[in-house]
Parts: sequence; structure tokens; C-alpha cells
Amino acid sequence: MMENKSNGNGQKEWQPKIVAFFCNWCTYTAADSAGVSRIKYAPNIRIIRVMCSGRVDPQFILDSFAKGADGVLIGGCHPGDCHYQEGNYKCLRRFRLLQRVINSFGIEPERLRLEWISASEADRVRVVVNEMVNQVKALGPLALPQKYEELKKEIEHHPVTSEIKEE
Amino acid sequence: MIADLEEIKGVTLETIYETSEGKLILTCIQCGTCVGTCPHGEYMKYPPRRIIEMLLHGLADKVSDTDSMLKCVNCYACMAKCPRGIHLTEVLLQLIKEQTILKLPTLPAELQKALENSYRYGNPMGESGRKRANWVATSKYPVRILSQNPGPVDVLWFVESYPAYYPRGQDTCRAIAKIFNRLEIDFAILGNEERSAGECGLLAWETGLAEALIDYNISILGKYTFNKIVTSDPHALDAFNYRYRMYGFKKPVYHIIPFLMPYYDKLKSMLTRPLNYSVTYHDSCCLGRHNGFFDEPRALLNAIPGIKLVEMFHHRINSICCGGGGGGMWLDTYFKSQNMERLSDIRIREAIATGADILAVGCPYEIPRFEDALKVAGYENKMVVKDIVELLSESMED
Amino acid sequence: MTNQGNNKDIRIGFYICHCGTNIASTVDVQKVVEFASKLPKVVVSRDYKYMCSDPGQELIQKDIKELGLNRIVVAACSPFLHEKTFRNASSQAGLNQFYFQMVNTREQNSWVHLDPYASTEKAIDLVRAAIYRVVYHKPLEQKRVPIHPDVLVVGGGIAGIHAALTLANAGKKVYLVEREPSIGGHMAMFDKTFPTLDCAACILTPKMTAVKNHPNITLWTYSEVIGVDGYVGNFKVKVRRKPRYINEDLCIGCLDCIEACVYKEGRFYDEFNLGLSKRKPVYIPFPQAVPLLVVIDPETCIQFKSGKCKQTCVEVCEPNAIDFTQKERIEEIEVGTIIIATGFQTFDPKKIPYYGYGTYPNVYTALEVERLINASGPTQGQIVLRDGTRPKSIAIIHCVGSRDKNTNQWCSRVCCLYSIKLAHLLKERTEAEIYNFYIDIRTPGKMMDEFFIRMKEEGIKFIRGRVADIYPDTSNGCCGKLVVKAEDTLVGEIIKVPVDMVVLSIGLEPRADAQEIRRMFNITCSTEGFYIERHPKLAPVNTFTDGIFLAGCCQGPKDIPDTVAQAGAAAAEALTLIDTGYIEIEPNTAFVLEDDCSGCKSCIPLCPYTAISFLEDKKKAFINEVLCKGCGTCVAACPSGSIVQNLFEDEEIFSEIVGVLNYTYHEEEV
Ligand SMILES: Cc1cc2nc3c(=O)[nH]c(=O)nc-3n(C[C@H](O)[C@H](O)[C@H](O)COP(=O)(O)OP(=O)(O)OC[C@H]3O[C@@H](n4cnc5c(N)ncnc54)[C@H](O)[C@@H]3O)c2cc1C
Ligand code: SF4
Ligand code: SF4
Ligand code: FES
Repeated sequence: MMENKSNGNGQKEWQPKIVAFFCNWCTYTAADSAGVSRIKYAPNIRIIRVMCSGRVDPQFILDSFAKGADGVLIGGCHPGDCHYQEGNYKCLRRFRLLQRVINSFGIEPERLRLEWISASEADRVRVVVNEMVNQVKALGPLALPQKYEELKKEIEHHPVTSEIKEE
Repeated sequence: MIADLEEIKGVTLETIYETSEGKLILTCIQCGTCVGTCPHGEYMKYPPRRIIEMLLHGLADKVSDTDSMLKCVNCYACMAKCPRGIHLTEVLLQLIKEQTILKLPTLPAELQKALENSYRYGNPMGESGRKRANWVATSKYPVRILSQNPGPVDVLWFVESYPAYYPRGQDTCRAIAKIFNRLEIDFAILGNEERSAGECGLLAWETGLAEALIDYNISILGKYTFNKIVTSDPHALDAFNYRYRMYGFKKPVYHIIPFLMPYYDKLKSMLTRPLNYSVTYHDSCCLGRHNGFFDEPRALLNAIPGIKLVEMFHHRINSICCGGGGGGMWLDTYFKSQNMERLSDIRIREAIATGADILAVGCPYEIPRFEDALKVAGYENKMVVKDIVELLSESMED
Repeated sequence: MTNQGNNKDIRIGFYICHCGTNIASTVDVQKVVEFASKLPKVVVSRDYKYMCSDPGQELIQKDIKELGLNRIVVAACSPFLHEKTFRNASSQAGLNQFYFQMVNTREQNSWVHLDPYASTEKAIDLVRAAIYRVVYHKPLEQKRVPIHPDVLVVGGGIAGIHAALTLANAGKKVYLVEREPSIGGHMAMFDKTFPTLDCAACILTPKMTAVKNHPNITLWTYSEVIGVDGYVGNFKVKVRRKPRYINEDLCIGCLDCIEACVYKEGRFYDEFNLGLSKRKPVYIPFPQAVPLLVVIDPETCIQFKSGKCKQTCVEVCEPNAIDFTQKERIEEIEVGTIIIATGFQTFDPKKIPYYGYGTYPNVYTALEVERLINASGPTQGQIVLRDGTRPKSIAIIHCVGSRDKNTNQWCSRVCCLYSIKLAHLLKERTEAEIYNFYIDIRTPGKMMDEFFIRMKEEGIKFIRGRVADIYPDTSNGCCGKLVVKAEDTLVGEIIKVPVDMVVLSIGLEPRADAQEIRRMFNITCSTEGFYIERHPKLAPVNTFTDGIFLAGCCQGPKDIPDTVAQAGAAAAEALTLIDTGYIEIEPNTAFVLEDDCSGCKSCIPLCPYTAISFLEDKKKAFINEVLCKGCGTCVAACPSGSIVQNLFEDEEIFSEIVGVLNYTYHEEEV
């Protein structure tokens, strides 16, 4: 495995932390079936279950970054497959705006990823998580909590935040 | 069906399991499709399926102690049909071939000569490098040579050795020159500066030779400004697309047949002279099975007025190799010494059975191989072998 | 209820399951217990070998009672598996079941990671998140939805037939919707079935007739579901009934019209016989068809094409049942549960061109051979080739289109067995030499391998090797034979067997319209297109959508015994719901905090179920709880944060974020 290997100097390699929001019906189920199939992937991911990717409030993402996430992954059903018809489209629209927002805060847009992973695509969970971990590793730590207070204020007053909310 | 080039670059039999290709090899279900489809499978002590099983048991050495892989003609049949999608011809078999040749006390003479010639003269026939562009003088249509006229050009036509030297090959060159001119394509050739791209089979036999040719051609190509390479030799196409890439070569490379497809309408309007023949088309292994160009050659043939296309039993993905690939071009004598029937002889019987007047091909190796096979079959007066570009040019009134 | 005070006296109990060694071998359970015990408000922190076992549950219940716990967190497997178990345990001990939270430590942790250190760290993060979260949990009541007692069964193959009969016999009203003019599915095409070789018609026809005659079954053939609305307990379904141009109430099934048709012979592709025979424009698919009603095919009927037919069929029909003006009808029904039994289709062997199907007339699919063997088939059970001759040598090729990355990757499960069956039947009727080319012989199941061994005794040849090529034999003096070329991998030789007939044992694959059907019913299917069951072992006929069940090959390839078993199970699941009378659903609905709502209306168009309306008098949004399905899209979009989703409240999720990201742990522990 790649994680927590000492880098030769007895020191631990830095490990990014990725917060993931997976919808109950597709991606969370896919992650379960990855487990059932004993597919191995990087352990840097912390999955939070929501009923639908449409439930993912932009604030959840900004908050995750603010509280120290190095990356945020959203997983939902493929277009047309959302259990609630089109929550994933709503999510997609918010996601596009969010990429702009985080960029304007100096967070690389690659730290935020949206993936459609259906319940049957267990292996896709592995591929996406590993890719994401490697990508974020390459970007290095984000370490926002220090700037947390500052950012929080900014977020609250940023015009785009309300723009997203209003869609 | 192409293995990940980045991953397999520099891979060896020892390191292969670390790649996704190695993982694929582990999934072999020992079904034997590869052996059953291999045109030389009957003559191999270790055909592909058994090679995999030997490899998995750590017995690959025993395989390369035999001449099994010397008999592989790089026809991609096993790879195309393998239900596990193992890239046999592209990866594993090449590695075994290399080991095989390293161990052979003496190489079959013809092959040895071809390798030496390629190294010394830049072409397997051992012709002088200074005569490579001689055919240009015989072309009715102008052909620009970059060493004499080095400005930027759109299409760099990589002529390759067989077309450049072999008389029937030169016929195809003149045909291409005509087609390019008539289509008003901005093209030029390297002329005497060109050296064999390295027939993909040869590249597998001799890494040293391969690297010499690749380095040389890449540096020559680097001198000129062009957008793409077009070649009429599917083996050169593969050499560029699968080998040169590993050495950093990036320009797009096309075979002439798919390259002409975007010009289809314009081309078709120029094909005014009817050729009232029945034609059967032989799918070249590299062009068809390996690169998936099955429809394009047929579309071009059908664009020629008068032509009636008939198919052999084995066609498209199921085509039978002419026996020229993987070094087979220089192993006929060796194969004969092993009591193996020439593949071109087998193939020509199928072609003859169609009753066609013309056997159309898309690879320069096939013209001499099939012309000879026609002689052996006593059929040389009843059927002719033509490259598709020749037929196109014939149908184009001057 | 006790122990459910306000935030100040929150008392959390934490439990982690070893799951034998499934969790404990990767996650350092002790370390997690110790860690959790130090978190605020945690009163007790324990581990146990199997939390889901009775003693495990009792442990929780005892602690609730003795220690006055009012929040429970269990780190174990996926909530999909045991959330319900632990919720029940909590509620039996007097706690509202929604004061419970589960941490997925097996499927999404110990099973997917190898490094114990990283796994433990991840477990700790997720446990912290759950413990932070559970503080905000509210006591909720589950919603009860009444179940409409009628059932819809889609697809009238053996699966649909069996499910419909089971339900009808239990006194439920069933709508059976079948796309083709007759029920029966694939099974109706076979002559005999493995492994017992009993006659398919003998066991199927009585069931088909029973469907027709059952007072509780409404059978709609030549019909398709075109729309599904609503949800468990209360689905509204639209069914399109295609016109047969026959008045069903008048037709007595005498078939005189077929006889009388101006076409004296069949002229058109006979679907049921796969084109091996021809039918007239007026036809029945096969003699035992149920219902025994003729169909007029407007594509080929002269009356439809030119309007100038002598209409000899009409003349002869005494009951006057023929009606060229019939129109399609749309029926709307209400049902509480649905069983999907749409079956499979066979692989199209043209996708493997080197097997010559469609090029060489003597290459057949297994399904075509089933028809040839069938006593009521196009040749009345005679095995003759298209030129009328009887084959003397036959090659049966297994796994065509199965276990192949270039086509379908899965094993179709029944092909080995039906190939062996066909080998036997073909040998019995032709005494031909039979060669089975196989990759592996797969004969699991009761009496299956015994069947295989018996067939070996009969002298059927089995050659281990996947066929690589089929081509006409052109050797001297040969006569239209086909050469089958393969490596006999056990002997290590390439063999070329000349045969008269080739049978391709084509695999089973999802129906071409599986994706559309899945979308219509809001169920999931795998990438290849088989519908996915809720749990491969514990909920094999349930889907992720409550009230919709699966039966037969639409869920994956299987034989008739398994299909029937599954159909019975699906019927039982539907019965359970119907007889309970209601279903409890997650109370994860959303509601508007009226005081905070600014009346901006941005939520209203977002709701896919139009559950949100605008109260004009108050200028506030209002969510109809009955319509809300709990996706949370409106919650995420509300600019003033005035919509709350039960079970997924903002505070709950924010505290999870805080929980998973807490880095102070490193400083304390490392
Ligand atoms: C060549 C062959 C031989 C076999 N031999 C045997 C054997 O000997 N013994 C054995 O145990 N098994 C055998 N099997 C397997 C057997 O066929 C299946 O197990 C069985 O038919 C599955 O039944 P089913 O009802 O699930 O599907 P199907 O038989 O496919 O029935 C599905 C029905 O649903 C209908 N339908 C589909 N879509 C819709 C829709 N959208 N709306 C309405 N109706 C729809 C179809 O028209 C069809 O009537 C064989 C299979 C094959 C291919
Ligand atoms: S065809 Fe592929 S799977 Fe079959 S034996 Fe050859 S390598 Fe293995
Ligand atoms: S590439 Fe062709 S000749 Fe070589 S082993 Fe495969 S099938 Fe045989
Ligand atoms: S339910 Fe998965 S994205 Fe909506």
C-alpha cells in the first residue's frame, strides 16, 4: 500500500485527507460493493452519506476545505439515473459554480471532483479515489484551517455564494 | 486493443506482472483460441496458450530454448480473438521472441542478412542508400525531396524500403505520387535520407538495431517541419505508432488508405475510368486486425467504377496472414526446412477460389509474396496482385 | 420514553464490532474503543465479536437501561445491512430508534484497505464523526404508507407466470403484462429441459392455462408498460395494449381465419420459430399459445397495406371477431407492488464473425435448434438442415458470446447444460457424431453433473478448446461441410473437424431495452444491464426501490429451477408487504422552518415530486410530507437555510465534516 510508508528518513509521507459525499443509491452502494468484492484503494477518503448528490450543499464543500480537507469528492448517479430523477443535474450545476468559487479563493479546482459512479461500478470507486488521492498528493497540503476564520468571513460575504444558492 | 505503451516500455519477463498487461496474462483461461487461430500454431512446440502456462510456472526459459516464436508472423490473430483481451502479439510474444533470438546459436541466414542489411544500409535488401529516391525520376508527377527543398510541408510521405527499391513497389510509389498531386496535397519525401522505419517484427528481434533505426529516423525527421506522416506500409505505421512513441516521437502517422478517406468525395469524382474486374481484398494484419481498418480499403475499392468486390472465406478480423510479418519475409527458407507450408500459398488458394481477377492489397510485402504464390499455384496469368493505390491511380484518367 | 433529555445530558454509548476477524484483523478495535471512550459525552465504549448477534444487541439494550444511554453509535458493517437491526434493538430498549447512528467500518474500510494503521486512523475519524453527529439526532416517527393489495407482474415467461400464480392463489389480484402475443417466454420454445429431460410443454402449458383461467389474474398480452408513477404501496401504471385486430371477447380460437387467409402458404418471418418457418399475416405464435387468440400483423396484411383484400378471413369468422379498426388502448391501473420478470435475450452471434453465423447456412444458434427439436416446431421435431438433409456430424460450440472480453464477460450459467441436453437430443434423433467444444464444463446444481456424466456414457465427444475458426471444407471431394478448428488443449494438438452442422451455444444477456425499463421503474442495473438486487445474499429479489421485486433472468442468467424459486420468493416478498398492509419508510423528509423562510420560491421548481407549494397568504414555502421523497435537493438550495431534512440536517452533516477532519488526534496520539 501507498499510505504511511516511511519515506526512508523514518518520517511519514504526507497523506492528504479527502472528504467524500456519496449519494445513497449509486455511489455509496458502489463503495459498499467495492468492499464486498475486496477491491483495494487508498485509505485517505472519508465518506459521508447523503441521500442524493442533490443534497450536497455548497457550504458542505466549502466547510470541508475550511476544516482541513485537502480534497472533496462528490459521487452521484449517472445522468438520467438519479433515484430522485434529477438531483444529480442540480448538483452538477452547483459544482460548476463551486469550482469557480474555490478558484477565486485560491483553491485549485482539481481539489474538487464530481463523479458519476453507478451502483454496479465498484471498480470505478477504486479508480476515482486513487486518482484523486494521487492528484491531491501532487498538489500538496491545502492546510486551510489556519486561515479558517478569515475564509469563513469571506465565504459568507462572497457574492457568488448566494448566487449558487439561488442557482 | 492496444496495450498501454507507457506501461510496457522497457518491460521484461521478470517485471511484466507489475504492469496491467501482466495482470491480464494472469487471467488467461487456457481456452486455446490463440493456438487454434494461429496460422503457424501447428508447428510451434509452444504456441501462445502454452507459453502463458509455462510463464506462469516459471518455465519461460524452456520456451525460448525452442524455435516456437521464430515461427510467429506477428499476425495479431491470437490477440484479436483472445477472450481475455491479452495483448499477446504486442507484448508477451515479443519478449519471448527476443529471448529466443538471443539464445539461437545461429540465425536463419536470410533473416541474419536482412538484419545486417538494415543496420548497414538502412534497408533489408542491402541496396545502396543513395539509390533510395531513384524511383522519383520515373514519376510523371513531381515529388518534392526535403533534403533538396527543405521548407515546411503538410504531409511527410514515408516511402519505406519495399516501395522505394522493389520494382513493383515503385509502381505503388508512382501511383501515390499521382494521387497526391491530383488531390493537391502538399507533400514531400525524405529521399535518400530515409532509412527503414524498422519492420515491426524486426524491431522485436533486435532491440539494438531497432534503437539505431529509431534514433536515426527521429533525428532526420526532427530536421524538417511537417504536420503528419503518411506511409503506404502498415508495418512502418505500426513501427511509428507503437515503437517510436516510446522514444518520444509525437507526430500523427497515417496509413495511406485511412488517410485518403476524408478526401473520399473529391477522389471519387476523379475515378472516371471503369475497371471492370472482380476484385478480392486481402486484409493486411497490421492494417486490419491491429488497427481496425476494415471498412476503409473496401470503401475505396467500391469507389472505383466497374469493380465488383468479392470476399474470401477468411476476411476482416479472420483474415489469414500472408506470412510476411514478424520477420517472416526473411524466413521462407527456414520455414520450408521445417516442412511448413507457406502462408501465402494457403492464402492464394482462397483468393483463387473466389474467381476474382484481381487480388487487392494494402501492404507492400504482399505484392511479391502473392505474385510468387500465384506462380507456384500456376495461376500467374489468371489473377494479378495490385495495391489499392495502383487501382485508384489506374481509374484516374490523366 | 425515557432518557431523551436535552443536549446537556446526552449520554452516548459506542460499540465496535470485530465481525469475527473481518474488521478486527485490519482495524485496531481496541485502539478505537479507547479513543471513543475519551470523546465528550461518551459514557461507555465497548467492542464485541459480533455486534449483530443476540448477545451483541443485548449488550446495547442493557447499557441503555443501566447506564441511561440516550444515543447509540455502532461501528460495524454497512448500514444497508444492519442499521435496521440496531435501530430495532435500541427501540426495544425504549430509545427512539433514530437516536442511533452507524459507522461503515467493514465494506468501506477493513475490506478495502490493507494497512492496519491507516485503516484504524480512518475508523477513528469516522467514529468521531458519528459521535459528533449523533448528538444532533432527533426523535422521529417512521412514516407508514398503506399498500394497495393489487400486484403488477411484468413479463410472462416462466418467472412471471409462477409469480402471478403464487400471488393469485394467495387471493391477490394480479395484472400480468406480457409484450408478446402469448405468455411462455423462452421456455415455451424448448422441447425438453435439463437435467431431467422432461418435456417443457408438459410442465409449462398447464401453468399457462391456469394463468388464463385464474379469476384473480388479469392477463394482458401484446401489451407493454409505458409509464410508472408513485411509489411503494401506491404505483400508478400505464399499460399500452396493442391492437391484435381481433375482438378478444368474440374470438373462440378456432383458427379458421388462418386457414382462410388469401395467402395459401406462410410467407413471412415467423418470430416464434426464429424464421425457420414462415407464417401468414394472420397467425398464432405457436399451437399452445395462451391466450389462444390470433393476431393480425398490419405490416404484412394486404388489407392494411392496400385496403384491397378479399378479406377471406372475415368471411369465414363466424363470431365476427375480426376488427380492422381496432385501436391501441391505454389502461391505467393502481398497484401496491411490482414484480419485474422481463427475462433475457440471447447473444447475437453475428458479433463473432469468425463463427460464420449468417454466412454459412448450416451454422445454427442453440435457440434455433431448440425449435428444430421441438415436436411442434418448424420441422415437427425432425433434425434436418436447411437443404433438407440430415446431419451426420454436429459440432456444438459452448460459451459463444460469454466469458469473452470482446462480447459479454460473464458465464451464462445454463449453456453448458443446455449444450449437453442438445447433444443428447440431437444424437437421439440423428445418431450423428457429436462434438462439444468447451472451455470449462460447468454443471453446478442438483443432478446436473450426474446428467453430464450420463451424456458422456452415451458417447458424446467433449473437446476442451474454444473454437478459433469455422470455414467451408474445400478439400478434395468434399461436400459442403464446415471445418471447425480449435486447439484440443488437453491433447495439445490443433484439430480440424469437418461437420455438417454447427450449433452455437449463445449466452444469455440483458434485454436490449433493459436500460429504458430500469429508468421507467426507477431500479438499478449493472453496467451490462442485469437488474441489481438489493443484496446479493440477503435480499436477492428486492431492488433498491421499495415495493419492486425481481424474478428470473432479468436479474442474471439462471436455469428454470432457480427462476421459479426466485419467482416464488418475489411473490412472497410482495405478499409480506400486502398482508402487513403498510410499509414503514425512512422519515428523511424535508420541512420548512416557516419563520426563516424568505419566500424566495427558489426551492419550488427544484422538487422532482412537486411536493413544495407556496402559501400565498403567508408568503412561505410549504412541503407536503406525503409527496416528499427525501432527496434533500431543496435543502441544499435554500438560500436562507430554512429547509431542514430529517436524518440529514445541516448540523448533522457539518458535525460529520468536523468529525472526519479533526486533526488534533494526531497531536494527542502519535
Ligand atoms: C437455448 C436455451 C436452452 C435452455 N434450456 C434450458 C433447460 O433445458 N432447462 C432449464 O432449466 N433452463 C434452460 N434455459 C434457461 C431458461 O430459458 C431460463 O431459465 C428461463 O427461460 C428464464 O425465464 P424468465 O421468465 O426469467 O425469462 P424469459 O423466458 O425470457 O421470459 C421473459 C418474458 O418477459 C417478456 N417481456 C420482456 N420484456 C418485457 C416488457 N418490457 N414488457 C412486457 N413483457 C416483457 C418476454 O416477452 C418474455 O415472455 C435455456 C436457455 C436457452 C437460451
Ligand atoms: S486465447 Fe487468450 S485466454 Fe485463451 S488461451 Fe490464449 S491467451 Fe489464454
Ligand atoms: S501473432 Fe499470429 S503468428 Fe504470432 S502467435 Fe499470434 S497468431 Fe500466431
Ligand atoms: S440519488 Fe444518486 S445522485 Fe440523486
